[in-house]
Amino acid sequence: MGGSSGRHQDTFERLGIPQAERESLAGVGAQYDSELVYHNVKDEVAAQGVIYTDMESALKGDYADMVHEYFMKLVPPTDHKFAALHGAVWSGGSFVYVPKGVKVDIPLQSYFRLNAAGAGQFEHTLIIVDEGADLHFIEGCSAPKYNVANLHAGCVELFVKKNAHLRYSTIENWSKNMYNLNTKRALVEENGIMEWVSGSFGSHVSYLYPMTILKGAHAKMEYTGITFAGKGQNLDTGAKVVHQGPYTSSVITTKSISKDGGVGTYRSSVTIQKEAKHAKASVACDSLMLDSISRSDTIPGMDIRTDDADVGHEAKIGRISDDAVFYLMSRGIKEADARAMIVSGFANPVSKELPLEYAVEMNNLIKLEMSGNM
Amino acid sequence: MDINMKVNVLPALTYNWLHVNESSIVEENIRIDRFAIPVPENLPEGVSVETQIPADKAEEIFAKAAEIANQQNAANIQGPNGDTYGRNAGQHVHTGMGIDADRLMDSMHVMTTVICAAENRKIAEPLVLHDYMKDGEGTLSRQIIHAKRGSEITVVMDYRSEDAAAGFHGISTKLYAEQDATIHLVKVQMLGSGFVHFDDIGGVCEENAVIDLIQMEMGAHKVWNGCHINLLGKEASFQDNTGYLCRYDQQYDMNYVAEQRGRKTQSEMIFRGVLMDQAQKTFRGTIDFRNGSCGSTGDEQEDTLLLSPDVINRTIPLILCQEEDVDGRHGATIGQLGEDLLFYMQTRGISAEEAKKIMVRARLESIGRLIPEDYLRGTVEDYIRKIL
Repeated sequence: MGGSSGRHQDTFERLGIPQAERESLAGVGAQYDSELVYHNVKDEVAAQGVIYTDMESALKGDYADMVHEYFMKLVPPTDHKFAALHGAVWSGGSFVYVPKGVKVDIPLQSYFRLNAAGAGQFEHTLIIVDEGADLHFIEGCSAPKYNVANLHAGCVELFVKKNAHLRYSTIENWSKNMYNLNTKRALVEENGIMEWVSGSFGSHVSYLYPMTILKGAHAKMEYTGITFAGKGQNLDTGAKVVHQGPYTSSVITTKSISKDGGVGTYRSSVTIQKEAKHAKASVACDSLMLDSISRSDTIPGMDIRTDDADVGHEAKIGRISDDAVFYLMSRGIKEADARAMIVSGFANPVSKELPLEYAVEMNNLIKLEMSGNM
Repeated sequence: MDINMKVNVLPALTYNWLHVNESSIVEENIRIDRFAIPVPENLPEGVSVETQIPADKAEEIFAKAAEIANQQNAANIQGPNGDTYGRNAGQHVHTGMGIDADRLMDSMHVMTTVICAAENRKIAEPLVLHDYMKDGEGTLSRQIIHAKRGSEITVVMDYRSEDAAAGFHGISTKLYAEQDATIHLVKVQMLGSGFVHFDDIGGVCEENAVIDLIQMEMGAHKVWNGCHINLLGKEASFQDNTGYLCRYDQQYDMNYVAEQRGRKTQSEMIFRGVLMDQAQKTFRGTIDFRNGSCGSTGDEQEDTLLLSPDVINRTIPLILCQEEDVDGRHGATIGQLGEDLLFYMQTRGISAEEAKKIMVRARLESIGRLIPEDYLRGTVEDYIRKIL
């Protein structure tokens, strides 16, 4: 497989990833199946001491001690069966270390493509944002469609140190034969900020609930996600947050759209431990049903073990307003376009959190989903 | 007698580690002395009561509704991830606590008391069933409230004992509201601090029928409540106002489900409660829009006041939906008294402690004042005042 790296890199050249990197990214990693085929980081970012390398090299290179200290500590193999599988067979993935006080102005990106029929991908992403540092990391996933099932059981471990900030954005567009059973977890220390931006469009079945542990005082977490479940899809997504430290806060905002028999489930948990005095948590989940052959379920859970906390939860489910469609049609817009426009507006809180190029990509995905061309 | 039941199973399961998917009633050496709730001799006009009816015979009235629901299920699209509806398939009418509560009653041969409102009779006077429990006493009872077409009935049930009394109190109430009928059901629990209590409710509403439930849970040591209402007919409606007060080391476990099958059905569930001391509470509330429930609305609101650092509050509000043309929402507000409110009260010369008492009383009395029977309403107000 190693001999095919050059060919795979050509593929990424054709896909335009290096072009995108030149324009808007601080560094890019690309993984084909189990092998990382392309990795690059801009000189000025590397000069700041930022490490962005593939996981295998990281385990053997200069940073081996650091990697060993953190690797599979946040998601131990005993966590659940897919974490155990991942621990046994992982390959590829990225290691990122941002040194103390370094602010990476432009995002780093990893791109995962599962190309072999019937295969699994088990990449491991480990990111450490040291004290006072700042990083935006973007993860993209796709695969060609085959008639056999593929499995993605990756693992993402994120360590956000004191006063650090990490934004982790994902646009997932796996092919619709994919079982996407990814595990993502972040540990946030004092005054740290963890932001998740997540768009789930692809895969046949997804079980994905990024978890954040707010360990330090005043640690914050924000999760903004959208899920579009179309024909043949069962997308069970959401977020989990554990408030451990005092004065911690979390905001979860999700949008879910179900269409053409798709099953969309929003699932979450907010846990406020006894020590998390003055914790604040807010959850808002909106669901949109586009027909009556689909499903949309909201299954949140809250476990609160102190009186000194403030927890709010809000969920709504509904349909596209006939009045809104009529208004747009009266302005000369075709009904299909009007509905797509309303769905894009529904998704706006998520797309506005993404860099422009990715927001455009997400809106295009929504348009394709609405037209049934995916 | 020993009891080991799995109850209050969430209609769609979630993470196991949250320990909210179900609850268990495990009690040893339970003594059951009585198998029916006392019925008054003088009944309101238009109300009939039959006692000692075998459950299978009494529940025949639910057969038609069960058949319609089963037909809909057979043609149904996929259930939610973690679907548990099949677990209670053997029940004539689904209840909140589930089939294990029925099995317990069956195993003890508990007969059913059937309360019936005559067709087209609007019965203004409530039927009041007082159940005063002695220390050490145990009871299991079953009732069906059947409101015939166009009728309206109010049934008030309260369970009480001395404050320090202990015992076992289990009750199952099934409701059938025929077309255009209304059932108002009021349940107030003020049992002693050593009681184990469960209260299981299941109901069916035909076209344009209403089930209106008012429930107050304030006593006992361990409490399980379940309620599952099937809004089968067009424009059927379910309203629920539940208030609870959990103190000391009380444990309170709830499972409420509004299953909306008919067109233009409505559900509105309001839960207001207070947790104090080392109390623990788990609330499960589900709005389930089934295929065909177009034009339906569902609203579920929970407001919980936490007044001790040692309380444990678990809340799981679900919306399950397989219909496009619906409007469903739920909201939960959980926390202590707002600083602004406390400050305002203190500027008016009210101490923080007194302000808390006022807010607890306001919360409980907002449900208590809905009780339609004057004497019981007064008793509840006295009970709240005494506690505070």
